[in-house]
Amino acid sequence: MSLWIQQHPLTIIGLILWALGLTMLMPNRSGTSGRPSPIALGLTAIGLLSFLAGFGRTEAALVPELLFWIFSAGALAGGVLMITARNPVYGALWFALTTLCTCGLFLTQSAPFLAAATVIVYAGAVIVTFLFVIMLARQSGSAGYDQKSQNAVIACLCAFLLIGAITKTLQTKAVNISRPTLAAAETKAQTGGVTTSEQPRSNTLSLELSADAGQAPPEPDPVPNYLSKADATTPVGSLRGLGRSLFSDYLFAVELAGTLLLVASIGAIAIAPRREEGAL
Amino acid sequence: MNPDTPMNPEELRTLMVAAGLFVLGAIGFVTRRNLILLVLSAELMLHGVSLSLVTFGRMHQTAEGQAFTIFVLTVAACEAGLALSLVLSLYRQVHSLDVRLWTELREPDVQQPPADDSGSGISPDSAYTGIPKLTPAGIAPRSVPSETTSTKA
Repeated sequence: MSLWIQQHPLTIIGLILWALGLTMLMPNRSGTSGRPSPIALGLTAIGLLSFLAGFGRTEAALVPELLFWIFSAGALAGGVLMITARNPVYGALWFALTTLCTCGLFLTQSAPFLAAATVIVYAGAVIVTFLFVIMLARQSGSAGYDQKSQNAVIACLCAFLLIGAITKTLQTKAVNISRPTLAAAETKAQTGGVTTSEQPRSNTLSLELSADAGQAPPEPDPVPNYLSKADATTPVGSLRGLGRSLFSDYLFAVELAGTLLLVASIGAIAIAPRREEGAL
Repeated sequence: MNPDTPMNPEELRTLMVAAGLFVLGAIGFVTRRNLILLVLSAELMLHGVSLSLVTFGRMHQTAEGQAFTIFVLTVAACEAGLALSLVLSLYRQVHSLDVRLWTELREPDVQQPPADDSGSGISPDSAYTGIPKLTPAGIAPRSVPSETTSTKA
C-alpha cells in the first residue's frame, strides 16, 4: 500500500486536490453568493487533470513526461507571446522564457552542457544586450509600428502549411535509425561487461578504433555515418564526448568560429554609432 | 542483432516542438515591424534549429548534434551583436525602429507595401542622409602606372 502511494504521487495529489475543491464547492456556507468561487473551481480542475494524467503511470515514467510537457508548453507559449507582444521589452522577456524552456528541453535530450552554455550566452549576454538597445532606442509612448503588423494573414497561412507538412513528413516517413551505441552496449552487456571507465584512453582516433576493435567488431551500418563513430564508453551528451568531438574532428571549425567572433566584434564596434557622431 | 530501431515518440514530439519554434520565429520575422523584434524572431528560429540538431544527435547517439549546436550558438551571438549595432546605427538616422522606413533597400520590382498612417511621420526619403561609411583602408590599385609602363615598354 505504501509502496503504491510512493509510486503514484500524482494520483494521490490529484485525489486530495479534487476532494478539497469539492468540499469548497459544496453549498454549505450561508454568507457567500450563489456563484462558486474560482479557487475551488481551479482546485477541482487541477485535481481532476492530475488524477487523469497520473492514472496508471508510475513515478519513474511520469517525471520525464511532466518535464517535457512543461518545457515544451513554456517554449511555445513564450514564442507566441513574444511575436505578439505590443511592447518590445515584453517581447524580449518572453524570449528569455522561451530560451529557458528550450534549455530545459536540451536537458531532457541529454545535453546538459549545451543547456548551461545556452543559458549563459542567451540569458547572460543576448537578452541583456537586447534590453539595453531597447532602452537606448526608447520611443516616447507606444509607437504605431508596434501596434500594427504587416502581412499577418498570409504569413500565418504559409507558416502553418509548413508546420503541417513537417508534421506529416515526420509521422509518415519515420525512418529506422542505426544506433550503434545501443547495439554495442547490448553486446557488452551480453558478453559479461568489462567496465571500460578505468581503461586508459588515447587521444587519437585511429588508436582508439583499433583498441575497440579487439573487443567487439563493429558491424557495418545500413546507412553509413560519415560523421563520427559512436562510442559506447562515453555516453552521448557528456562533456568528454563533446570536447573530443569539438577538438579532434572539428578543430578547424572551432578556429573558424573564434575568428568569426573576433571579426564580428570588430565589425560591431565599427558599425555602432560613436558619441561624437551625435547622441541617440 | 539488428541495430536499427524506429524513431521513438519522445524524439518525434521534440522535433515537433522544434518545428513549432522555427515557424513561430518565421511568422514573427515576416509580420512584425519593429527592428528589434525582427532580430529576436531570428533568434527564435535559431532556437528551433538548435533543438532539432540536439535531437538528431541523440537519435544517432553521436556528438555531432551538440557540436553543431555550439557553432549555431557562436553564429547567433555574432549575429546578435552585429544586428544590434546595425539597429542602433539605423535608429540614429531616423529616430524610429520601423522597418518600413528602409523599403528602398529592397529589390526594385517588389510591390511597395500599402501606406498607413501608423508610422512616425518620417518619409522614407529623409532616411538616407547620413549613411555610415567605413574608413578607407588598403592601397589604391595601381592600374594607371601599369598602363604607362606597358606603353613605355
